[in-house]
Amino acid sequence: MADDTDATIDSDPSDRQALSRPDPSTRRRFLALGGAAGALALAGCSAQQTGDDGGDGSDGEDGSDGSDGDGGSDGEDGSDGDDEETPTLTVATYTSFIDAPSVSPGEWLKEEFESRVDAELEWATPDNELNYYVERAASGVSVDADLYVGLTTGDLVRVDDQLDDALFAERGEVDGFDAVREGLLFDPFDRAIPFDTGYVSLVYDGTTTEAPETFDGLLADDHSGALIAQNPGGSSTGRSFLLHTIHRFGDGGVAGDGDEETVAGDDGDPDYDYLDYWADLQANDVRVLGSWDDAYTAWSNGEAPMVVSYSTDQVFAADAGEDLEQHRIRFLNDQAYANPEGMAVFADADEPELAREFMSFVLEPEVQGEIAQRNVAFPATDTATLPDDYAELAKEPADPVTFTYDELQGSVGEWIDAWERQYAGN
Amino acid sequence: MSDASRGAAGGRHTLHDRIEGRLRGHLLTALAVVTSVTLVVAFYYPVGTVLIEAVVVDGAATLSVFAAVLRDPFYFGELARLFAGESPLAVARALLGPDRRLGIVGFTAYQAALSTVASVALGLPAAYLLARFEFPGRRTLRSLTIVPFVLPSIMVAVGFVATFGTNGTLNAALSTLGLPRVDLMFTLRAVVIAHAFYNAPLVARVTTAAWESVDARAVETARSLGAGPVRAFFDVVAPQVYPAVLTGAALTFVFTFGTFPIVLALGGFELATIEVFVYHLVRDLSYAEAAALAIVELVISLGVLLAYLRYEARNTVSARGARPLPRRSLLPSAPTARELLPRLGLGAYAVAVGVLFLAPIASMVLASVTGGDGALTLEHYRFLVDRQQTGAAFQVRPWPAIRNSLAFASASTLLALPMGVVVAVLTTRRYRGRTLVDAAAMAPLAVSGIVVGLGLLRGLVFGVEVAGWRIAASGAIAIVVAHAVAGYPFVVRTVAPGLEGLDRSLIESARALGASRARVIRDVELPLVWPGVVAGAAFAFAISIGEFTATVVLATGGDAYTMPVAIERFIGRRLGPATAMGVVLLVVTGLSFVVIERLGGETSGL
Repeated sequence: MADDTDATIDSDPSDRQALSRPDPSTRRRFLALGGAAGALALAGCSAQQTGDDGGDGSDGEDGSDGSDGDGGSDGEDGSDGDDEETPTLTVATYTSFIDAPSVSPGEWLKEEFESRVDAELEWATPDNELNYYVERAASGVSVDADLYVGLTTGDLVRVDDQLDDALFAERGEVDGFDAVREGLLFDPFDRAIPFDTGYVSLVYDGTTTEAPETFDGLLADDHSGALIAQNPGGSSTGRSFLLHTIHRFGDGGVAGDGDEETVAGDDGDPDYDYLDYWADLQANDVRVLGSWDDAYTAWSNGEAPMVVSYSTDQVFAADAGEDLEQHRIRFLNDQAYANPEGMAVFADADEPELAREFMSFVLEPEVQGEIAQRNVAFPATDTATLPDDYAELAKEPADPVTFTYDELQGSVGEWIDAWERQYAGN
Repeated sequence: MSDASRGAAGGRHTLHDRIEGRLRGHLLTALAVVTSVTLVVAFYYPVGTVLIEAVVVDGAATLSVFAAVLRDPFYFGELARLFAGESPLAVARALLGPDRRLGIVGFTAYQAALSTVASVALGLPAAYLLARFEFPGRRTLRSLTIVPFVLPSIMVAVGFVATFGTNGTLNAALSTLGLPRVDLMFTLRAVVIAHAFYNAPLVARVTTAAWESVDARAVETARSLGAGPVRAFFDVVAPQVYPAVLTGAALTFVFTFGTFPIVLALGGFELATIEVFVYHLVRDLSYAEAAALAIVELVISLGVLLAYLRYEARNTVSARGARPLPRRSLLPSAPTARELLPRLGLGAYAVAVGVLFLAPIASMVLASVTGGDGALTLEHYRFLVDRQQTGAAFQVRPWPAIRNSLAFASASTLLALPMGVVVAVLTTRRYRGRTLVDAAAMAPLAVSGIVVGLGLLRGLVFGVEVAGWRIAASGAIAIVVAHAVAGYPFVVRTVAPGLEGLDRSLIESARALGASRARVIRDVELPLVWPGVVAGAAFAFAISIGEFTATVVLATGGDAYTMPVAIERFIGRRLGPATAMGVVLLVVTGLSFVVIERLGGETSGL
């Protein structure tokens, strides 16, 4: 959430059983050999017997993984499931949760959890994030992780649409669940537990402009060409901002089969929907770039005074010693789109109970505070321990808005599709 | 292989010799088989697992998804009406009318065509300079031409915004000179310039290699027969250089047709290309439509490549020597118009190169030493050192990234070279079905990168189930093979035109004297097209260094990541750490190219 990196990196140690890596001497020999393509293709292969009880696929044949010469890999423990004394909990998440240039909660969580529980925590951050596990499940390969951290409402909708069998298990008994703020619970089937939340808002340079207070204000002449947003099909901030405009102006019946609005906007005008608003916004020269990085880079270079980003922007700005006046937050119509992030246990987890223990741990007041600060977001519980001045830089809107699972299901795809067709029609 | 034969008891010499003899005799066939197997395993099968979703939905074969895409005016503009059964005349009228719609596919082709023109226009003068003039640092400059080719799009975006942005270097310079400011950002022009930044070096490098292979004797003969220098150029030199220029143009078109992140970073969603939608559809798991679009993309790209190959096959000029043309000094020998004009032109070109290529790269370097307060700092490089020393085991660290990048690139170049040479030899023969072989060999250039990534995940990482065993592959070796598959078409395209043009009598004489086919290739043909081989090696290396999608998919575990992966990982709210890593990539790659070209030598030595 701290960094909206749209394509993150695969560093998934969990599927190592099925896959091998050459040891350094193999590589050197290969370098000397050069062209032996066939030998190569074979050497990269591994075989694993299928059709056993599914869950733990740990074959001992492949001891070479992780020992790629740098000595720093923590992957020497390919024995999950075999050795009951120190079980391994494989936690899948997105990369910036464990590896961001500024701060990320991963390292602290691993150390703290391992100090309390007799278990090893292993992070898995495949490039395709949750889709990687959907692909595994759809291809009939074991999921090889115990829980996923970083689920959004849209993710759950997509997974449930795509897979016939359940990817995630029911929540089960998790201590501390009662402390989670009611408004954040986003899974109607009670699998995912929210662990933090963030808000997508406008960030603007107060030294060159004063951001409008409402969506309509963005259409004013003096804000022509002043806003940079992101592609809703590829960026989560871009998608949140689009959803916010739908929440505000209604969907005009785009997703329904009739002309009845499935979402009536807050603006109370049934004849003006989000596509009308975007037509006006486009006429006022809004920029829709690809990723959050693209947008923030352009904004930082002064291409436009306003950008769609996170309401925690000043936390980073203060940390980097930048002028906070150039990093002001605006909640349009006093609202911001809320993106609660959840965690859920995989249905075929090897260590479901350990996974639930981890979820209880995450909901503890101190841990909630640490995650919020290190992920630069807001806690999901009422009981989190946070510094008193946290709210000074990390801003929360008076009126957070979001779509529920049921509202997104069967609609979000059509909403984005209709927007794309209008915005990019050549 | 000789190890195995050594184990046999008795008569091992004869056996050894016999096997060796057999191998020599069939080396070409063996390499061709290995190349085919590699392509099937690391490309055709994986990509097939994705593309098939366009025609098999929920287990049933259907063309409906495909038909829906073809008939959708959003994608095909006015042409969609043709697919929907309207009369070609009406469609032609609409296309000529003022309100014509190109559709996403049409627009993608349009911007690719513009980008190709710009890349050729910017690449040719560089080839002229590098092939025809002598000056200090020429070889180093030639080596460095491909550097832009490997830069991750985020780096190019950073450099471009800082150079061409509203508050960029260019506008600052124009204001100082009292000239009007330019508004380039978020326009098609910015995208085309960025595409030229990536691809003009490709055109330049390929053309330089061909130009350096022009035999000086042919020019001398023409001159001695009374042709003027201009006539000699157009009759002798140009026909040997055209195919290379077209190679560069065709490759540029295919690359910019499949362009993705840079369009949205510098242009905006109004300029969205097909690949933007493939990405979105794959992300949302709408595989059928994604695969249908990817097939459309593939057919068009492959069509362009094949059209070019037909041209290449018909228009090669026979050559039999490789004594390159003598280079001229960059300083004019006499103050005549003929001496001065080309050099003045090159001077003007140098200014353009300074603005379009050097300024963005300089801006990247500057961004890597600029702090949040705007002052110069080394803190971003300290971040790299710090991350190397204290990063957690599961985090990406700079040194393993550098080491992996170099190892993967070297290995995949060594693999791509024999693959490329074999395919080049096979595709320069004349036989029925050669077009098919050409298409199959060039397909890795034309398939959507996003589809390849998903295919490698399914086909290699998850593997296939055979008789109760799941065969899978990933990690370093799989990355090397995937990179070689992506890079070898460049070897084919830089080597094949030269081979095609070789005088057949040279090969026939060598064969008549008893040399095996492999030996003829090694001792006669390759030396004659050596500049092409070196250029191909440099491209294979560059492709591997710059590759991202396949690498992240195949880099399971924490330690098979490369420099572009590290750059991506270090992107945060502040760009410093990522740009510092980008500068490391720039330096490491630049040095590697210089080394490759030194190893390759200046000429064939003949």
